[in-house]
Parts: sequence; C-alpha cells; structure tokens
Amino acid sequence: MSRTASMRASVVFMAVTAGAALALAGCGSSPSSPSSTSSTTPPSSSTAVKTSDCGTKPGVKATGTPIALGGIVTDQSGTSFTDIANMAAAYFTCVNDNGGVNGHPIKYYIETEQTNPTQIAADAKQLVDTDHVLGIVGNTSIIECSVDSSYWQKLGYYIIDSGIAPECWSTPNSAAVNMGPRYSSDGAVQYALSQHVKKIVFDQSNVPGTGYIAAGPAALAKAAHVPIQQLTENVPITSADSVAIKEVDDAGPDGAVILNFTPPDALVILQAAQKLNIEDHVKLWGCSTPCNTDFLAASLGPKWNNKLFVNAELTPPDFTNTPTMNLYKAIYQQYGTSGPNKVTGGIGSFSQMGFTEAEIAVHALETIKGAFTAASVNAAFKAVTDYNTGMLCQLWTYGSYPMHIPNNEDYTVTPDNGKMKTVQGCNEISSVDPQIAAYRKVAGVATLAPPRSAP
Amino acid sequence: MLETTEVAASTRHRTRLRRPATRTLVRGGVIVVLLLFALLALPQLLSLYYVDAMTEVAIYAVVSLGLGVLVGRVGLVSLGQIAVLAVGAWVAARLLFATTQPYPLVLLEAGLVTMAIGTIIGLPALRLRGLYLALITLMVAGAVAIVLASTNFPNGGHGFFGYNGSLVNIPPIRRPSIATSDPAYYRYAVVVAILMFLLVFVHIRTRPGRAWSAIRQSEPAALAAGINTTMYKLWAFALASFVTGVAGGVYAGAAHYLYSIDFPAQNSIILLAVVLMGGAYSLWGAVVAGLLSQLLPALLNNWGVSNDWLTILFGIGVVQVLTTAPRGLADQVPKDLARLGLLLARLVHRPAATTAEGEAP
Amino acid sequence: MPSWQDFQPFLVTGLALGGVYALSGVGLVVLYQATGVVYLAFGAVGAMGALIAWSMISDGIADWICWLVCLLFSGAVTLAYGIVFGPLLAKREPLVKATATLGLLLVLFGAMDLLWTTSGGETRAITLPTDNSGFSIAQIQVTWTQVIGLGVGVVIAAGTAAFLRYTKLGTAMRAMANDREITATLGVPVRRVEAAAWLGCGVLAGIAGLLLADMVALDATTLTFLVISSLAAALIARLRSIALTFVAAIVVGVVQNMLVPINAVSNYNDMTPFVLAAIALLVLSRRQVLSRSREDT
Repeated sequence: MSRTASMRASVVFMAVTAGAALALAGCGSSPSSPSSTSSTTPPSSSTAVKTSDCGTKPGVKATGTPIALGGIVTDQSGTSFTDIANMAAAYFTCVNDNGGVNGHPIKYYIETEQTNPTQIAADAKQLVDTDHVLGIVGNTSIIECSVDSSYWQKLGYYIIDSGIAPECWSTPNSAAVNMGPRYSSDGAVQYALSQHVKKIVFDQSNVPGTGYIAAGPAALAKAAHVPIQQLTENVPITSADSVAIKEVDDAGPDGAVILNFTPPDALVILQAAQKLNIEDHVKLWGCSTPCNTDFLAASLGPKWNNKLFVNAELTPPDFTNTPTMNLYKAIYQQYGTSGPNKVTGGIGSFSQMGFTEAEIAVHALETIKGAFTAASVNAAFKAVTDYNTGMLCQLWTYGSYPMHIPNNEDYTVTPDNGKMKTVQGCNEISSVDPQIAAYRKVAGVATLAPPRSAP
Repeated sequence: MLETTEVAASTRHRTRLRRPATRTLVRGGVIVVLLLFALLALPQLLSLYYVDAMTEVAIYAVVSLGLGVLVGRVGLVSLGQIAVLAVGAWVAARLLFATTQPYPLVLLEAGLVTMAIGTIIGLPALRLRGLYLALITLMVAGAVAIVLASTNFPNGGHGFFGYNGSLVNIPPIRRPSIATSDPAYYRYAVVVAILMFLLVFVHIRTRPGRAWSAIRQSEPAALAAGINTTMYKLWAFALASFVTGVAGGVYAGAAHYLYSIDFPAQNSIILLAVVLMGGAYSLWGAVVAGLLSQLLPALLNNWGVSNDWLTILFGIGVVQVLTTAPRGLADQVPKDLARLGLLLARLVHRPAATTAEGEAP
Repeated sequence: MPSWQDFQPFLVTGLALGGVYALSGVGLVVLYQATGVVYLAFGAVGAMGALIAWSMISDGIADWICWLVCLLFSGAVTLAYGIVFGPLLAKREPLVKATATLGLLLVLFGAMDLLWTTSGGETRAITLPTDNSGFSIAQIQVTWTQVIGLGVGVVIAAGTAAFLRYTKLGTAMRAMANDREITATLGVPVRRVEAAAWLGCGVLAGIAGLLLADMVALDATTLTFLVISSLAAALIARLRSIALTFVAAIVVGVVQNMLVPINAVSNYNDMTPFVLAAIALLVLSRRQVLSRSREDT
C-alpha cells in the first residue's frame, strides 16, 4: 500500500471506530441521565419557594461590573468534583438573575485539574494573574490545599472550600464547609463506638494523606480502649470480594467495619459483602460522608437498612423541609439540570457543599460597602461569623485562626429502602481527636444552628 | 557498475563534506537564537500559567530525549520510562529533604542513582529481544507503580522512605536558592535541559552513536563486525536512565509535592506516542514531544476542551507514524547509506569489506 | 499469619479471577500465534464493549441483547483493526505490530473517558444474573459468576487448543504461526485465516470485558490495564502454549488473591502478575539468548 493510501486508511479507520463508538453510545442512554442518579423530588411537597429568594431584587438582572471569583476542582477518571463547582455556579447565576450583589453580577471561573501539582499551582496562577479573581470559593481537590496553601497565604486570599487534603483544615487561609475524610471518619467511628462494638476495622483508599486520616479514628479507638485495625486499599478496587472478606474476618462478629472511600469504591465493597452473604458477620458497617448519597442508598438493597451507618456532614436533604433546603432543590432544578454547568449527581452532598459555599460567599460579599477588591473580598470572607447556612449543624465561622474546622458536628444516617434516613441528629466530633481539640481551644464550640426560617 | 556507483558516492560524499560547514553554522546560529529567546524573552511574554507549562515542557523534552535514544538510536522500546522518572524524582526529593546539598549536586546524584537502577534492571533484560524487552519494561513499570503507591514519595519524614503520612502540614520540596520563583525555575529547567541535550548530542556524534547506528541497522551484523552490542545497549539504557533521572529531579522542584498518582502507567504509553510522533530519531523530536505532551494539554485545559481528545489524537498518531515509516521504528534513518557504511568501516578498523555492509537494502 | 481456613475464600476468588485472566491470555496467545500481533488493546476494547452494554442496560434494553452487542462491538473493532492494519504492518517486526495496538488502546481509552465521564457519586456496575445465587463449600460462599469465570476460562482454553489441533482453520493458524510465507504459498488463504483470528480474539475480549466488569469493576482505566495481568500469564507461557497460559493465569490469580489476607504484603498483591512475568521472562530467557523463531521474538 502506498504511503498516502495507508495514511488515509489509518485516519479513516480511527474515525470510523470513534464514530461507531459514538453512535453506539448514543443508542444507549447518556451516562448522566437522571434515571441513574439520585432522587429528584422531596417526599413532602415543599412550601412554595421561588428561586428568586436567592437574590435581593427578584427578577432584576445584575448589570454592574462583575465580581470575579474562582474555584479549582479535581476532574479525572474515577474522581470528579465538578458537581460542587457547578452547583456554586448555579447559585451565582441565580443571584445574578435576581439583583446580583448590590447590582454586581458574579463571574465564576472554574479550573479543573487532574491531581498534578504543577498543573494545580498553574491553575491558581491562572485564576489570580489572568482571570483576576478577587476570591476563591468552591475548591474541592485531593491535593490543592497542600499545593497552594503557601500561595494563598502569600497573597492574603482566604478561601472557602470543601476540603480533602490536610491543609484544608490546618492552615490559616482555608475554611471548609465539610469535615473531610478524617473528621467524617471520626464521626462514623464514634457512632460505632457508641454502639459498643468490640473491634474497629478502618479501611480507606490509598490516596495521599492516609496517615493523617487514620490518626483520628486511631485516637478515638484508643480512648475507648477498643482495638483498631488500619487497612488501606489501592483504588480503584479490583478485588472487592477479597477486600470485603478481609475486613469481615478482621472485625469479627462483634466488630465494626468503617469505610472511607469514594462512593463507587464503597459501593463495590458493600455489594461484594452482600454477594458473599457476609454483611451480617459483623455487628455494623460504617462509612464516612461520601457514602451519603441517595444513589448509594438505592443501589444497596434493604439488607443494609440499619446495618450501614453513614456520617453525614451536611443536613440530609430528604425529609428536611426548610426554606433553605427547598431553595437549594429549586435552584438545582432551575439552573443545575442543564447547560454547561450541569450538576450530574443531582441532590446530594456534593451539590449541597457547592450551594453552601456559594451561599456563604454571597453573604460575605453583600457586607462589603466600598469597592470590590481582592483585599475587601477576602476580608469579608474572613469576617464571616456565626452564619446560619441552613445546611449545617452549627453556625459557620471563618475567623482569624491558625487552623479551621468550622464544621465539626454531624448527623448519622442509614439507608432506608432507597433513601438516607437520619438515625442520630447533630453530634459533636469528639475532642479526643487532637486536631479537633486544638481547634476548639482557639475557636470554642460553635452554637447549634436553628432551622432557617427565611434566607 | 559497482565501481561507478562507488566513485559517484564518494564524490558526492566529498562534495557534501564541504557544504556542511556553512549549513552547520547557520543551523547552530538558529538554535542559539531560539534558546536565547526561550531563556530570556519567553518568561516575560507568557503568563505564569504558561511559564509553568513550559517548565513541564522542558522536563518532558528531556524524558522524551531519553526514550528517543532508546527507540530512535538503538531500536529498543521501553514502556516504563515514567517509572524511571518517578524513581529520579523520588531520589531527588529524598536528598533535598534530608540534606542541604546544592541543587546541581542533587540533580547529578538523582541521575546517577537512576542510572544505576536502570542499568541493573537493563542488564538481565537486554538478553530479551525487541518485543519481550518492551513487555518486560511494562511489567517492571507496573511493579514500580504499585510499590510507589505504598511507599509514597518523601515528604520530609524520617527513615529510609522519608514519608510521614500523618503530617497536617506537608513541607514543599525546595528549589535552588537562585531559582525560587516560577520564571526563574523555568530558566533553570531550560538550562538543565540544554545540558542534557548536549550530553546526548556528544554521545551521538562519537563512538557510542556510531555503534548504536550499527546495532539499529542489524544487530547480528554489528556483532559480526566486532561491536560489543551488549555494552552499547547497556550504555544506551544508562544514558536514558541518567537524563530521565535528572529530569525527575527537576520535576520534583517544579512540583514541590510528589504523589504516586502522578505517575500512572498510561503516561508511559502516551510518552511513547509523543516520542514517535515527534520523531524518535532527531533531537528536535524530543522538544516536539515535550510540547505535545505538556503544552497542548495546558492549552486545551484553558480552552475547556477535554484532554481525552489529545489521547485519541496520540493514538492515531502512533498508528500513523508506524504505518508510514519505511523501516522499523527508527524510521528517519539517514538516506545516505553509503556514508553509514563508511562510518561502520572506520569503526571496525578493517580496510577490506566496506562495500558489502554499505549497500544495505 | 492467617490460617488455612482464612485463606480458603481467597482461593475461590483467586480461581475465578484466574479463569478470566486465562480467557484473556488465551485470546492474546492465539492471535499472536496467527498474526504475530500482541493485542495490547484487548482490555480496552472489552472495556468499551462492557460500557456500551451498560449504557444499553440502563436504557432498559434486555440484558442478553446488550451482552451480544458488547461481543459484536469488540469483535467488529478488533476485526476492523486487523483487516486494515494487519496487511500494512505484516512485514514488520512483532514489536512494531504490538506498539501499533497501543495506538488503538489510546484511541479507545480517550473515547471511553469522553463518553462515560465520572460524575460525583455515581457508579457504574454490570451485574450478571448469576451474581446473587451460589452455593456454599465449607462455609465459603461461591457465586455462580465465579464458577462461570473459571468455567469459561477452562472451556475457552480447552476449546481453543482443540480447535487449533483438529479443525482445518485451526491447523491453518498453526501453520501461519510457524511460517507465514510458506503457508501462503501452499494456498492457505492467509488473509481470511487472519481475519478469523482477529474476530475470534475480539469476541473473547468482549466476553472477558463483561466478566471482568462484573467481577472486578466497570471502570475504563481498570479494565484497560488489567490486560497487563493477562499478558503476564501469556508471557510466562512465552506466548506459545495455550495450556501453559491457562496454568499460569490460574497461578497468577490465585497467588494474587491469597496474598490479600497477609496484612504485611496485602497492598502489594497487585504486583503479582508483573513480578511473576518478569521473573519468568528473565529465568526462561537464560536458555534462549538469540531465539530465531517468529522473527525477533
């Protein structure tokens, strides 16, 4: 075959393959169709909430000079936090449609990254130097807090994020709306200990920070004089059966297996345990917040009702009928179900976090009297004190502290025939965890938030 | 007939020998201008985002250079160069945390240790031929990735592995004191890259390069001509490992934080793809490969286009290069085969059978 | 150190996984013998087939149709690749042919990530009806899917060996493996035989894709690179013997799983295929320094 002919052949072949694949995939459902994601409507009819409640001037589009904000989220195969940023974007769009911030619309720049430190550092520079963002909201990344914390410190940016890396809670320039893997695992372990288990098996995914995460449960178990077995698994999990068998064997009939994985991996382990008929061979199963999605509840059968106890960092959306929760659902329906910033995971903790972060940011921005500059915006973020987000157990405070764990009280939920039901209301994460103790020493214990009556 | 061809060939050869002087000068001049531009002007013109991307280009150009030596010069395919990069980064990070040695020394040590490891692994593997060698590099790379996932990268902790998993505040890997800012570190990376390219260039122009050419043409023939093929193949492995190890050290300083998830198996495959596309044989090909694998993704990320399109493009590129290349993977073989024959003859120091080797198909 | 009792469940899971590795390994070996191509895109094409099946199942189409589509897709893509690029690269060394399949791997990998993106909280799974029923052997629950995994591996290995030995097409493939040129001159329709080998390999990739998606994970990256584990088994058999591939695959699967309960090495168990293959290659190559058969292998 001649050179040109072979060139043509290869290009044609590849094009045909790609085309065939696309066509075939098109015949199947699009992967993000609502039927395969979590619940959409709340069980009880919501009080009529208009999305315009998000802004101060209903129906008036903001037309002033935009306020630029930015966010960095992980988006790679296996882990994607774009839902959080997209929900924040949806909130901002709602605000822009209803008066903006004192007439100024918010322009939100989202940078995605693939857990590459240089890329993450570059994204931060892109946001600050090129996009000229005045504040950072909505960061959710496996390592961004570690990589950028000194940069934000140098610039004087106080970011509002949903953290994962240790630095999201241990540095002065980051305050999270969530509790993160360590404190959420603490919550799950605490619940198990409260049920008087004789042994804890704590299994987590082998991503950066396992030692940091494990230290919390280790401290809790030690204080309760309960032996704890620490395990890690390489993710994505390739032999879920083996993992489940190992966990159950290690825990024993009076023990508890506590998982800290992303939802797909946690689901695969739990389903394996069910397949092998060993889910009842331990006293109970626990899971940190990522398990708290209706999707997981629906995928697990009824065998897990009151068997799996999930720590919920945010107020459970199902069975909660407050104006803020309904506003969140309404904004999702109107702004988050289509368009470039589609929230594919639906109602659940990810989009809740995005909503909460955006909510806090707008609340802070509305207190600014003069010009919107990086200095004024970040001062406003830092000044947020005792704010009732309507999504958390406690009032949320940023504050001038060397570390921030503003969300340190949680719920415990369990699957109940396809939905997550609350088993235990707001419960403090124990100060036995040294980091929690250190934070409470500087910041005290935040007041419980009353249910929001009006936004 | 044979005599006429010979005379014509040697006449052409002599004529060609006069012109290269000016040609080389011009080419050299262009390269120097480009390098000066890259070093001095580029950081001023680009935003920090792109300066960071170009630092990665410099690093991966060196990695591509190493793979190019193996694939293009010797005809060995390694599917595990990213694992080698990871080892280099690991060593550099460990030294940077544990000692206060100056940066160039750390880079050198990282390169040497990686070279040692590469050679030790290469020695038994070189007994295997083409396909098996490539597959065993894939196996070793897979094993290294799993070990790294468990031992992690040094982060300032103690012990041999230097990893402390419980840190709430992870210290960054330091940069050289003269190059702490991003533009300065970019220049540092480019200088290191230039040095590595020079190192490889010198190799190519001297005895190892000629031996590699001979081995690539036909290993049995090279053996018959008295070339110690095992030694030269090992030398190629060592050189590739050394430059990749140094690149790993530069990577450590660029990233400040190292994670095992940053060195996945598929990156080795993509590296091979861009090296093939850029041209495994030429030094410029390594630069092109660096641009393809690091600058394009940065651009696409900025434009909101998914990197998956690049993956697809690279896949098409691989097949493209392989099907249109006339001979083997090292396809840009110099057309002047007579010259090659003469080089071979000089190498072997045998006055007799020059023509037979020269007239390769 | 766990007791024998503790090891038993892992033996079962190991056998099942080994069976599927065997299935993939046999597919790789047969194609290599017939065409000289190590089909590195084996995992990727099976993964994409499984994802297409998943999409169709989510749409409500009957399961068996979706599985059939998966097999057809994998078979068609593999066949198309073989028909187009087989002749183009026929005269090249096996290394080049194998590297070219890496191109196909990248194209499929990129396409899969584009079409089936990961979103927060969602997970994909293929469940076969045999997942939830099984039986107990000595307090270990064995699902029918695991039995199928091992069973299909045995059947394919034995069936392929018999096919190669006793059928005309199989004999033609063996002849081509031995010497393609002479086989062509003898009047065997080499292109058609090759096409048959490609198609067969592709269908096997689809079967393996479905089974692995069920037993391991329906994740593009995992399934694409799981081929390396099957390849390890094929390499231990020097890409020659089907029986040896089968045995090697079983050993790899079992050892890998049996290491799980040993906490000290548990996290390194995924290394098993690589380490075993590397050792086997290096040890076995001592005796054959410059092998002559099949060009450069």
